[in-house]
Amino acid sequence: MAKFEAGMEAMADMYVFETTSLLEQLDQILMKTENESGFGEEEINEIFRTMHTIKGSSAMMGLENMSKLAHAIEDMFYIIRENNPVISSPEELYDLIFAASDLMKAEIELIGEDEYTPTDFSDQMNKIEAFVAVLKGESAAPEASAASAPQAAEAAVVEGAGDTIVKVFFEEDCKMENLRASLVVNRITELCSKLDYIPPDIETNSDTAKTIIANGFEIHFRPKKNKTIDEILDTIKNTPNVSRCDLICRGSTDDDAADENISTVCVYFDDDCKMENLRAALVINNIKDVCENVTYEPADIEENSESSKVIVEQGFIVHFDADKTAAVVQAIENTPSVKLYEFVEDHSQQAAPAAPAAAAPAAPKAASSAAPAAAAAPKPAAPKPAAAPKPAADNASHAKSSTGGSKQSLISVNLNKLDTLLDLVGEIVITEAMVTSNPDLNGLKLDNFQKAARQLRKLNEELQDAVMSIRMVPLSGAFNKMTRIVRDMKVKLNKDVDLVFEGEETEVDKSIIDQLNDPLMHMVRNSMDHGIEENVEDRIAAGKSPKGKITLSASNASGEVIIIVADDGAGINPEKVIAKAERNGLLTKPVSEYSEKEILNMIMLPGFSTNEEVTEYSGRGVGMDVVRKNIEKLGGTVSVESKMGEGTNFIIKIPLTLSIVEGMEISVGDSIFSIPINSIRESFKVKPDQIVKDTNGKEMIMIRGECFPLIRLYEMYGITPFTYDIFEGIIILVETDGKRACLFADKLIGEQQVVVKPFCSLFSNYNIKQRGMSGCSILGDGSITIILDVNNIISDF
Amino acid sequence: MAEPEATVSEITAASNTEMLSFNVGDAIYAIEIKYIKEIIEVEQITLVPKIPGHIKGVINLRGKVVPVISIRKRFEIEEIPYDSRTCIIVLEFEDGEQVGIIVDRVQEVVDVKSSDISQTPDSKNVNANRYIKSIVHFENNVILLIDGNKLINDDRGGSL
Repeated sequence: MAKFEAGMEAMADMYVFETTSLLEQLDQILMKTENESGFGEEEINEIFRTMHTIKGSSAMMGLENMSKLAHAIEDMFYIIRENNPVISSPEELYDLIFAASDLMKAEIELIGEDEYTPTDFSDQMNKIEAFVAVLKGESAAPEASAASAPQAAEAAVVEGAGDTIVKVFFEEDCKMENLRASLVVNRITELCSKLDYIPPDIETNSDTAKTIIANGFEIHFRPKKNKTIDEILDTIKNTPNVSRCDLICRGSTDDDAADENISTVCVYFDDDCKMENLRAALVINNIKDVCENVTYEPADIEENSESSKVIVEQGFIVHFDADKTAAVVQAIENTPSVKLYEFVEDHSQQAAPAAPAAAAPAAPKAASSAAPAAAAAPKPAAPKPAAAPKPAADNASHAKSSTGGSKQSLISVNLNKLDTLLDLVGEIVITEAMVTSNPDLNGLKLDNFQKAARQLRKLNEELQDAVMSIRMVPLSGAFNKMTRIVRDMKVKLNKDVDLVFEGEETEVDKSIIDQLNDPLMHMVRNSMDHGIEENVEDRIAAGKSPKGKITLSASNASGEVIIIVADDGAGINPEKVIAKAERNGLLTKPVSEYSEKEILNMIMLPGFSTNEEVTEYSGRGVGMDVVRKNIEKLGGTVSVESKMGEGTNFIIKIPLTLSIVEGMEISVGDSIFSIPINSIRESFKVKPDQIVKDTNGKEMIMIRGECFPLIRLYEMYGITPFTYDIFEGIIILVETDGKRACLFADKLIGEQQVVVKPFCSLFSNYNIKQRGMSGCSILGDGSITIILDVNNIISDF
Repeated sequence: MAEPEATVSEITAASNTEMLSFNVGDAIYAIEIKYIKEIIEVEQITLVPKIPGHIKGVINLRGKVVPVISIRKRFEIEEIPYDSRTCIIVLEFEDGEQVGIIVDRVQEVVDVKSSDISQTPDSKNVNANRYIKSIVHFENNVILLIDGNKLINDDRGGSL
């Protein structure tokens, strides 16, 4: 079975993206209000809007289950907003919405899969309904009727005061009365602004023919503004085989009535948002939730993709009942990608109760009380704008103008396209090197070529920077997800913990963020479960605030992003760790030879967990191991710092981007290494008087009165070099994090940009990251270079 | 460690198994065709310091950096210089990871009936490291079928 109707496939991506971000927004609002204990008017409206949008777009995608669930939540918040009931169990409410949000998120993930079958949400729906029933019960009695009104009111709309009702009978024995009736309907459709008929299923159900013979075919209609009832009656009578047309009730007839009843709005969409016709269908869908009587031009938006052009050029024109203006405006506003809408003033004054375009900002109350409100209370909308200059007006207008303004300058792009772009840029960088340092050029004097090559290189660098900056996203998204985890665990573990963010605006590459979620989650869980003390008394006894604190902080340092997950819990007991490691057979040398740092880092070995019991969250001994593997996959490192009684810090260091590094190539024997240029201070030939030896015969090099340790790379890496002679080779002074050292290599080859490729998983067991190798790269001539990580070289030495 | 049992029964369930046979030293080994991506000549191998000796380094396989394992070293057979028949068989695993293995000589693709495949003896001393998945009788030869996953999982540090 096809997942979506034709034409919807392309929308699916957009739908998933939009709905995911809406649900994330929802979580954030919930989290915020939960902390501040209580919904403000603004938050309720926001949740309401979010759910409304999800409902509309889900319905458009044919995802009925999603749409219904969203609708249930929307209804619940409608009652909360309108009746302002005393919520006796806010926890239950939050759990309910969180659970629903989780269900929807899970569902959205499923949509991406081939074998998608909609999940049944009825359990959750029942829970919500039960809760709503409680809410209703608690809310004041007179309000209750208003709350249950919407459905009734909607029903009333069908009957609609002012409709003209006729009964049509056909000639005896003409057969197929149902199809003849549909012919009648077809003929008058064009003339009516509103048309209903009984029985409704004439086209699909041939049994209706009998009903029509017995009872006649009942039509309720309202003429379009330039048509009269008589005109329509004539049309009906002139339809073949119609024997008789009885006027049962003559409704409000004339042009004026129609004018009063119809408002017209012209909707424009964001530039370049594509598929305007489907977006228009979404608008209609949203409007239909609040107003039954909608017509639009162009009419064939769903079938004819060409109509998108018309919409782009002329806008999308919607006619609807004027008395629902506020709700409709709200519905239009809530639709994604709507740039702007304006009322078309081609009929009488009364049609503009919603003071053109500015309607929404000026009438926040009217607009935001939105959908069912308008249906429930079909008051004239006109007085409302004037009556509601509330402070909320600022917020509403501000929100609209900010989305309206900035939206146009943002586009969402499929990440795959960005990945392709990045790969291409990587290839260009390598190819540039292949061209400009082509061996064929050796020995030639090519001034112009060199000049052009320099220009090319500069442009390539700019291109890279531009591509990189496209891919950078702030960490706040990843951090915010943790709020949710902390919230859930707080309840389950019964620990009171504050989650604090620092530097969450720090940006990292999108591909890194995606892979950071899991490690961060493991670490936060770990801190919650193992870090923070089990008993509040223990904390108080240790002189700490009874409320635990977990800090997530991020900062930039020399091409790396440092993320620290810190808790102020009990800290890790090194003795326990080593005892456990011994029990699990993880030790490779005598206990006494382990430094405290080594011991602490043992908790990240596979199969290690200090907690005695396995809990839902951790203790299977895989958590920290997975963290280390995931981070190393990103070319990063994890380390642990802990002080008994004070807390534990997990420190993650990851490269800013995974991709391109400016490197200095050096050779040692047959091997080529790249040292990131930002960690090189200088390179030089050493003179005999610069060499100083310590009491163990270890060499140091004296530069301008300072001594630095000498690291012979061949010795460190066990390579046979071309020269052991320190005066023949080259010394490179490197520095990171304030630590400096001199590296000894055979010779410098040159500077080149390299595209970093992380080492394959086969090497992950051998800790080569700790040995100062951060990745490898392919050079212009096809040979492979190993990228050195100066920081780890110095710490390993 | 109950894993090998399952895989043996899996093989016997399928009627025929295609495998590529190759020589290392005096023995004939084989590896299931599903693991094999391609066979290339030995090219320049870039040494990676500080890794165990059986991993010879990495090669550039059309822009992809692929690690190379010496089967001789892995099976603790004395290494010999590479000659014109030495090959790298590039294996590709389910997770997309590619690994090259250096063998003395590639023979042929053989189609083995399940009845010709027998289990390795369950012993603490014989085939202790379980690199041999099963033993194959083929045209009067005994071929040792290598467990591809096992071959690299030791380096990956268990499950991944």
